Amino acid sequence: MASAPVAVVDYGVGNLLSVRRALEHCGATVAVTADPAVILAAKHVVLPGVGAFANGMTALQRQGLTGAVRQVATGGRLLLGICLGMQMLFDDSMEFGLTAGLGLIAGSVVAVPSIASDGRVQKIPHIGWNSLLLPAGRESWNGTLMQDLRPGDAAYFVHSFMANPVDPRHRIADCHYGGIPVAAVVGRDNVLGCQFHPEKSGQAGLSVLRRFLRM
Amino acid sequence: MGAGERGLAPEAHCLAALRSTRLIARLDIKGPNLIKGIHLEGLRVIGSPNEHALRYYQQGADELIYMDCVASLYGRNSLREIVEAAAQDVFVPMTVGGGIRSVDDATDLLRSGADKVAVNTAAVANPELISDIARRFGSQCMVLSIEAKQIGPARWEVYTENGRERSGKDVIEWVRRGVALGAGEILLTSVDREGTRRGFDIALVRAVTAEVSVPVIASGGMGTAQDLVDVVQQAEADAVAMADILHYRRAAIGDVRQAAQAAGLSVRTYG
Amino acid sequence: MKCQIDVTEDPLKVQRRDVIGQYKLPVDVRFCARCTVSNQRPRITFDAQGVCSACNYAQYKREHVDWNEREKQLRALCDKYRKANGDYDVIVPCSGGKDGGFVAHQLKYRYGMNPLTVTWAPLKATDIGRRNLDAFIASGFDNVLGTPNGKVTRRLTNLAFSHVGDPFQPFIYGQTNFPLHMAVKYQVSLIMYGENGEVEYGGDAKNAFRPDRDIEDHDKHYFSGLPPEFWTEHGVSAADLKAFMAPPHDQIVRNRTSIHFFGYYKFWDPQENFYYCTENTGFAPNPERSEGTYSKYASLDDRLDGYHYYLGYIKFGIGRTTSDAAHEIRDGKITREEGVALVKRYDGEFPRKYFEEFLEFCSISQAQFDQVVDSWRSPHLWEQVNGAWRLKHTVWQP
Repeated sequence: MASAPVAVVDYGVGNLLSVRRALEHCGATVAVTADPAVILAAKHVVLPGVGAFANGMTALQRQGLTGAVRQVATGGRLLLGICLGMQMLFDDSMEFGLTAGLGLIAGSVVAVPSIASDGRVQKIPHIGWNSLLLPAGRESWNGTLMQDLRPGDAAYFVHSFMANPVDPRHRIADCHYGGIPVAAVVGRDNVLGCQFHPEKSGQAGLSVLRRFLRM
Repeated sequence: MGAGERGLAPEAHCLAALRSTRLIARLDIKGPNLIKGIHLEGLRVIGSPNEHALRYYQQGADELIYMDCVASLYGRNSLREIVEAAAQDVFVPMTVGGGIRSVDDATDLLRSGADKVAVNTAAVANPELISDIARRFGSQCMVLSIEAKQIGPARWEVYTENGRERSGKDVIEWVRRGVALGAGEILLTSVDREGTRRGFDIALVRAVTAEVSVPVIASGGMGTAQDLVDVVQQAEADAVAMADILHYRRAAIGDVRQAAQAAGLSVRTYG
Repeated sequence: MKCQIDVTEDPLKVQRRDVIGQYKLPVDVRFCARCTVSNQRPRITFDAQGVCSACNYAQYKREHVDWNEREKQLRALCDKYRKANGDYDVIVPCSGGKDGGFVAHQLKYRYGMNPLTVTWAPLKATDIGRRNLDAFIASGFDNVLGTPNGKVTRRLTNLAFSHVGDPFQPFIYGQTNFPLHMAVKYQVSLIMYGENGEVEYGGDAKNAFRPDRDIEDHDKHYFSGLPPEFWTEHGVSAADLKAFMAPPHDQIVRNRTSIHFFGYYKFWDPQENFYYCTENTGFAPNPERSEGTYSKYASLDDRLDGYHYYLGYIKFGIGRTTSDAAHEIRDGKITREEGVALVKRYDGEFPRKYFEEFLEFCSISQAQFDQVVDSWRSPHLWEQVNGAWRLKHTVWQP
């Protein structure tokens, strides 16, 4: 369990209160902060976010926090991106033209398809509870953020874009929307991401946060 | 079964098949109390909102809805403190409504822990409020709350002020307009069925789900789990809001979830 | 039926009424510190703290009454009156609503009595009212419906409206006296009402501590406060009035008739009666609120009762919302703040829905209606502002 406060990056985007409450519920002391020093002092850093990719990146840059977040990653400390925060970990996004991300996990962010795998129209954004599954090629969740969950456990999603890791080993969990796999949990070493909202996914979400705090 | 047989727009039919039904606990609040009425009246005090919210969360509610029932009367929503307190222990999406009259009111509640806001009276008076909120926070945050009272065969009128005032608006026309303006979800309450335990107004819910492709939450009238199955299977409801059945402890959410699964409905796996 | 009833008067020369004198009202308007009612309700009293007698009674009810003891008294009363041979042993006046329904159901199923429920027909039944009465009967009760001569009723309603400022007076008399007729005819001594209105809602509280009430001798034949000569002058014979009047006093006495109030024996809570009846007697509230108030579960059965409440609002500044909110405040259902907001929003709302029907029922024109209504606006309550009538004192702006 983390002893230094968990830093939740406040760059003006995202429902910080719920994220903070959920982490506190899991036993963490939380600092919601825009101060790079506090962020760099933490062992666990959470990057929340909702809304448009470009807005998020611009806001992060405007706060002067892009460097700090990258340093958390390269310095070996634990970084968890949530929702838009997860998408920002990647190289770039196609939303409203090409925008550069933090480049911490290889891959691009693309639109969730509005046509399902069988050709039927499906609704965007992807909203609601969806089951978490092992991606192709992954045998189990041991040793990952998902260690305490079972395939079929559900989480709450709200998003219109999705991240596509280049390296399949960086996909930890998927969900299926319209028959198409959507990256739900990603991770490369100490850089982790949840497309769903762990602070809104009941016990399953809290299990993910607790596991994160134990890493 | 083809879309034409159900009489639904093709998109609506496809989407319905893919969604799992959400089980939502609805809490009507007055001041410090959780209350429950019949036809939105005779509002009996049930107890502490947060105690009940926590219990429903622990029972496995997929979402919670908090409605402030005196908000319109006082011209303000007073749920901020309750929502803030709930956010400490409740970790599923929360929708908050009642007396929301401006983007500022919505902002206040969203900052306090709400994920979505539900608007009725103020939207009927000023429909632009729907697009203002949707533009600022996204359609997924903007729930259009509709109180519907039957006035003729296959005709329902929009009521406001917690079921006390007629608006003269037709429900189907209004729901179409609301979605066009940016509402991302519909909370549909039948004033005729509310609190009666006689089942949902299937015809009403079906008419609305056929009209729009955003999720529709059926509210008002749930007597047993079978009513939930019926409104999903016969009226394509995407979610069901439960109040009386939970507040009077006639069933727990787990019982309802099991019954839904047994009937072949797709619901979140829980417990 | 659209037939015109005989109206022999000239267009009414309506003189201004002395409301203060007639009802002995205080000139200074004061509102109860706890509920929404004012001192203009006839016979209500306020204590030194400005709390009305109804609120004080409500507190007394909650804090000082031994309800176990009262229940014992009820059982003893029932034991005394219960008949083992299948004859009716209690008359329960009811309209098909929540109060009579509660009383009848309790007496039959909890206390083993054999009630005859007795209903005096509304002037004009609402659909929901008739439906509720049918559902009540279907849930397992014998019922007698007394319907007076329609022509006479209309005439009386017109006269009462025009001369007494309350179209409902004749109905109220009939409703009060019909159970006495039935008690005598069926040889049932015990009549069980719901609550003692004077005690629960703020009137003459002299009977707060007894379960029953005296039956007055009405053989002087005053009706609606007016002497027999008045009625005969206006084309209503003694025979016409008979259905509305009490049976001869000696018959009432020989029947050993006794009127009791269930509200003395059981903690009276109208909203809880409503819930009880939805579960036990098939009662359904109105899905839309009654005009003049927010309530959906009280007084649903007559299309024309709105005009009784409206005249009350004109005479006393006390509308339907004030009364509904007041008892809900006393029963702990709503706060005074909410009650005041409700009164501000709904009190005095004109009952528009059945207005044409009412005018036709009474065979009067809108102009005549307005004249009569305005004649009851006492200057100590009403003023005109920019051509519109306004109460000088309201509970939200005393």
